[in-house]
Parts: sequence; structure tokens; C-alpha cells
Amino acid sequence: MSAELSHRLIVGVGNAGVAVLDLLAMEEPGFKGFLAVNNDPESLAGTVVRDCLSVPAGDPADGFLAIDEEFGKAVAGASSVVLCGGLGGETASFLLPALAIHAKSNGITVAACVGMPFSFEGKRRTELAETALGKLHAVCDAVAFIGNERLSGGTPSTTAVGEAFALADRTLLSCTRALHGMFSTSGPVRITRADLKNVLGVPGAKILFGSGSASGSNRLHEALEEALSSPLLIQHGKTTPGSALLGVKTVLLLLHGPSDLSFAEVQTAVSGIERIAGDKCQIKTGVLATLPVGSPLTLSIIASSGAGTQIAKASEAPASEVLPQTITTQTPESSTSTTFTEGEVPQPIRKTAKPSTFSARQSSPSKQTQGTLDLDTYQRGRFDKSEPTIVAGEDLDVPTFLRKGIKLSPPRRS
Amino acid sequence: MSSDQIFVGLEIGTTKICVVVAEGRSEDQISILGVGETPSRGIRKGEIIDMGTATECVREAILDAEEKTNVEIGNVWVAISGGHLRSLNNRGIHVLSHPRQIEQDDLDQVQINAKEIAIPPQNIFLHTILQSYHLDGNRNVIDPLESEGMQLEADFHIVHGMKTRIHNTLRCVESLKLEIEDVVLGSLASAQVIVTQHQKDLGVLVVDIGGGTTDYLIYQDGAVRHSGVLALGGDHITNDISVGLKLPIARAEALKIQEGSATDPVDSHGGVITLKNDPGFLGCEIDRRSLETIIHCRVREIFELIRDDIARNGGDLIGLLGAGVVITGGTARLPGIADVASAVLDQTVQVTTARNVGGPLQTFENPQYSTAIGLTKYARLVTRDLRPVGLLDRISRGFGGIFGRRER
Repeated sequence: MSAELSHRLIVGVGNAGVAVLDLLAMEEPGFKGFLAVNNDPESLAGTVVRDCLSVPAGDPADGFLAIDEEFGKAVAGASSVVLCGGLGGETASFLLPALAIHAKSNGITVAACVGMPFSFEGKRRTELAETALGKLHAVCDAVAFIGNERLSGGTPSTTAVGEAFALADRTLLSCTRALHGMFSTSGPVRITRADLKNVLGVPGAKILFGSGSASGSNRLHEALEEALSSPLLIQHGKTTPGSALLGVKTVLLLLHGPSDLSFAEVQTAVSGIERIAGDKCQIKTGVLATLPVGSPLTLSIIASSGAGTQIAKASEAPASEVLPQTITTQTPESSTSTTFTEGEVPQPIRKTAKPSTFSARQSSPSKQTQGTLDLDTYQRGRFDKSEPTIVAGEDLDVPTFLRKGIKLSPPRRS
Repeated sequence: MSSDQIFVGLEIGTTKICVVVAEGRSEDQISILGVGETPSRGIRKGEIIDMGTATECVREAILDAEEKTNVEIGNVWVAISGGHLRSLNNRGIHVLSHPRQIEQDDLDQVQINAKEIAIPPQNIFLHTILQSYHLDGNRNVIDPLESEGMQLEADFHIVHGMKTRIHNTLRCVESLKLEIEDVVLGSLASAQVIVTQHQKDLGVLVVDIGGGTTDYLIYQDGAVRHSGVLALGGDHITNDISVGLKLPIARAEALKIQEGSATDPVDSHGGVITLKNDPGFLGCEIDRRSLETIIHCRVREIFELIRDDIARNGGDLIGLLGAGVVITGGTARLPGIADVASAVLDQTVQVTTARNVGGPLQTFENPQYSTAIGLTKYARLVTRDLRPVGLLDRISRGFGGIFGRRER
């Protein structure tokens, strides 16, 4: 195991998780914070990820105990961990919550991005997945789960099996990348952990996710259009892009792209989403303009709506039931020596977190400290609701004299 | 008069919908019989945003034209514009198995080969306009048909756009039980009547500034070298005035038409414009220099964008223009616009209306009608020796299929 690991870690668990890591590693060859965990030696032999933890085959609980120490070393010093994988199988359904608890007990912010099985994969897998998801909700700060059934529009019979799985994998990849990107945002326009928790910390809520990527002069519009056309952002029975966003309270928006990403493009993205979601929707924007000029712009939208009952029940279960039996005896390390910011109280395991603090945080998600982006600086007038004319990143619907900062003498009322 | 000599041009513009009915005359000439028009609704930046309302407006304009000309309109030529349109130049190469006379099929094949390029999956080809042929290294062959050769190459200017948006325009027209003869790039239509073949040979930049879009096309050596569409036009000027001087849109539009000027405010005489009280509007006094600043900034920017786009895609084409720049379209009536264009493009600039057409003077003296009149002239030129092909065939071929050889 290499001791040199990034402060932000992405852990891929099981075959699906390792496959996602492989794709991410190819996109971002320089990034060192990948960790592959699997009990399939073939999958680990074929991965391009450098840091791997091989779980012995057999009982997953025994397997976890075997890698427990090494995993602890791997995540030591990390500020955030994003776990990804597909729930439903014995390995990932056990390991994902177990690893989440372990990381959480080290005071690390933990997010999970998991895929739920299709209904045609059988009841047993669905049950396993739902139990594991409940456990994840109990320990993780943010959980994004991709309902594969929703991806295929609820009619998997008409979709080719290979295509359905490929779409599920792509969505899992984009969502993991978006979560990781949101953790990486910094500066004045960023998404805080509190934001992520508000949106993705509600057990059983349906996750609305879309991502789009484009380059060229109209990149923002094209990326936004693609993101809004994602099946998870279209309300069941409707065809309007982004229709599922109508009425949601908070939307997380991540713009990850080249360093020439302009203010006007950020503004256009925000107003484009606002137009669909309604004025009352709070849009938390994060900008990660770190790529070289000419790279494609990726726009990711995450929101949640409604609250499920079945999964909520699972997460309400007593902590002793939530925790995998093999590690209930573990005591979290000092929770004061963590890297939390903005007054967050870590919530590693319910047993040790202060119950009053926890419930207060859960019930008042609107207490935000992040400032909002001032969008009234520019006026688009009659073009406010029309498709923007963007050339070289500049919104040309905004009057030229305003963009050039030319002062005019105001009209005098007679 | 036989009905096949009647051509109807339909321009679904952002400001107005215009239907020109013209009669074909000998020697590629046309004579305008009448114009039907109606103010546009449901159209923004040259594209339909409200199908029902836009269709109703088109119906009104068609009825108006039928009433004025006493012609029952069944077939129309439709102009298309919008910020989604893109263009590029590409060369098609067709190598024969052995040296022989070039046939029509070879010309078709080289055009098909030229379209073997990657355009976005949601786009379709609108035009494939021939620039020049090369036969066995012999450059700029005017007509290779029946010449003997082995390797035929041809340069084309290709225009493509988003399928769904082009289809929206078609659907709007077809819902009125009108048959569409073809869809034509707006600036290509305008160019047919505002510049002469001589100007095309010398090199000319055609700029059609309408309400919602600015379409431009550059000719050199008689062939189209570059084209583009900016989703910017007179509506933006009105909006800028409305935002800058805090006026309602209708007031801003009236002020632009009555007092607007694109003149550089440095040369302005200044002064005050008084707007009177109206129901719902409190009168005010406006500094003329402010109005001119707003308009000048926008107009200048439009020409700068055109200049930069041509420089990016066509190199020093503007510097090589022998016949300068020609401006048309509704916004071309703005005083001082030619001076701004001249300063930015460093070329002689003239504001032009349709020429070499017969009919009522007031029709072709108005630059607003250039595109619709141009459509009828284009139709006249293209249908001289056209074999009948259904619209569906043309859609499947991406529109460029049958006209590639003839568009000049």
C-alpha cells in the first residue's frame, strides 16, 4: 500500500465500484486518491488503479476483518471519502456500510454513491440492497443512490440488458465524479459539506441526478441540455427535460471545466435551472475551473425529492442493528480531532454522537452559512427567459454597454 | 399565366412574417406581384418558440398575400435562420478506377464524399454549396462534365443545423397545408437579389441584420467561402434601450425607429429627447448621447463578432473583398450603421435593397423584404432545370442533395 494518498479519497467497492474507478483513473491519470476494494482477484489484477485491497473470498465479515487495518491506514489523514459500488451483491452490500463506518469512526466525511439493482435481478438482491442502503444512510453524511429501475424509465423489458447496465454504470460514474468534484470545490463559489448533507443526507429521499458535458462556444447550453435530459431528472410519465426538479428546495450544481469558464456561463446555468425548479429553489453552486482551456465543461445537477418509507425505516433502526456485527465493538477515535469545518459536529456512529445535536441538525437543514451568488448584476431584459446567445463564454443578451461597464445618464422624469 | 412560373418566398422572421409572390420572367428575372405580411408572434431569435401562435401568424401573412395578388398559394420556399446553424468548408475526393469521361454520377459522388464529415449527431445538412472542381490536379475547373480524368475533387461550403429546429419551421408551414419546395439559408436567399454576379466574383460580404438574427455570407471568386448566423439583431438593440433607459419595450422600439442612430457618440451633437406622457407611462427626458451610446455599442459589437468569426474561419477574406460590404435587413435602416461597419471592417460599406427585380417600387426598396424577395429569385434560378423530387426525399438527403451543383 502506498502511504502517499490524496486528502480526498474515492473508494471503489466490488466489481461495479472498481469499474467506475478504472474509468475515473483513465480520465484523471494524475489523481492519486483511488482505492479499489474487492474480493475478486481477477478484477483487481485488471484494474489500472495502483492502490488495491484484496478481500479474501468467503464470508464478507471475515474478509472485512482481514483488510480492516490496512483500510484504516489507507484512509488515515483523508478529509473526505467517496465510496462507490453497486448494492445487491453479498460483497458490496456488506463491505460498503462496514467501510463507511470505519472511515466515519476516523472522523472523515463520508459520502456514498451506489447503484440499486434492477427488479429483474431478483428479490433477494433488492432486499440486500435496501438493507445496505439503510445502513449507509445511518452512517454516511451523504448518500446518492441510483435507482437503476428509474434509469430505464420503469420499462426494462423494452431496453436491451447490456444497454441498461451500461447506462447504470455511466450514471454511477458521473454521480461519483460529481460528488468527488463537489468535495473538491473551494473558494467563494463552492459546495460545502453541509450543503451535500442537506440534499443527500435525507434517508429514503429520491435522488435526482443529471450530468452533461460539452465543449465549444455553446458548451454551457449544450451541457445543461444534456444534464436536464437525464432520465433521473425527468418526472415519471413526462418528457420535459428537468421536469422532476420542479418544486425541489435545494439543487446542487457543479460546473467542472476549463479555466476560461466565465461568470456569465455560471449565471446562465443557475438561471436555466431556476427557470425549471422555480424561484423558491435554492441553488448551491460549486465551480471547479481547473482544467486546461479547451477541455470540455461538465455540468452536474444533484437534488432530492420526497422521502421513501421503507428505506427510512431501515435507517431509523437502532444503531446496534445498523452496524455490521463484526465491528460493533469498535470505538471511534476522538471526534474532536477531525477536519470538519463550519461548526459541523461529526456523526461517526450514532452510539457515540450526541443524540440532541444529531436531531437538531437533521431538523433544521435550512440553517446555511454560505453566501448566495449575486445574479442581479446583469440584466437580460426581454431575453430573460429565452435561450442565451453565448459567444466565447459571454452572454450577448446582456446589453453591450452593461458588459463594457459604460455609464449612461439616467432619464429625467418630466 | 402558368402556375409553375409563380414563386412564393416565405420568411418567418422575428419581427415580421413576410410572403413575397413573384412571377418568373425570362433570363432568370422575376417580377414581384405582391407582398403579404404580418407582425410576428411566438418567434424569438429567428426560431419558433410558440408553435400555435407562430402558425397563426404565418396563416395571416399567407392570406394577406393571396388577397393582394389573387394567387392561390400552394407551394412555398422557406428561409431559415437561427443561432444553431453552422458552416464549414470541405473537399470531396472521388477517384475513378481508370481514366474516362466525367459523368453526372461522378459529380454526385464527389458531393456525397464531401459530406462524409463529422457533424453533431443532432444536426442535418442544409446546404452543400459548390466552390470549385479540381480534375487531376488541374485547379478550379468550371465544369468537368465530359472532360477526361481520373481523380475528381471538389470544394464545398457546407451548412448544417439542428434537425429539430429546422423541422419545427417545416411543421409550422406544413400544418397550413402548404407544400415546401425547399428551405434556404436566409443570407443565401438575400444575396441573390442584393449583389450581382460581378460583385460575387470580386468578393463581397453580405450582412443581413434582421430583428432576431444577423446572417452573413462571404463570396470570393463567385463562390460562397464562409457563412454564419449570429442570434443577435434589432431586438437586442431595442432591449438594450429598454434596459439602459428604463423604458417599456414598445416605447424603446418606437424610440429606436424614430430617433435611433448607430453613430459614434463621440461625433454626436448631443441634446435631449422628450418622451411624452402616455397612459401607463410617465414622460421623461432622455440624453441623446446615451441613446446613441447604447445603439453604437451593440452595432459595433455585432460587426466585430462577424469580423472575428471570418478571421477565425476564413483568414484574411475581408481584406480581399473587391466589392466591399453590403448590408440589408430591417436593422440596416438604422442611420449611421454603414459608418460603424466601415470603421470595424475597414471596407467600403453600402446599405442595399433588392435590385434587378420588377414590381412595385416600395416593395424592393425596403431592405426588410430582401430575404423573401431573394427566395423567389433563388427559386427561379434553381428550378430552371430541376427534376421533380419530393420534400421527404430531400429531408432524407439533408436538403443539400439536389442543389449542391447549382447554388452559386
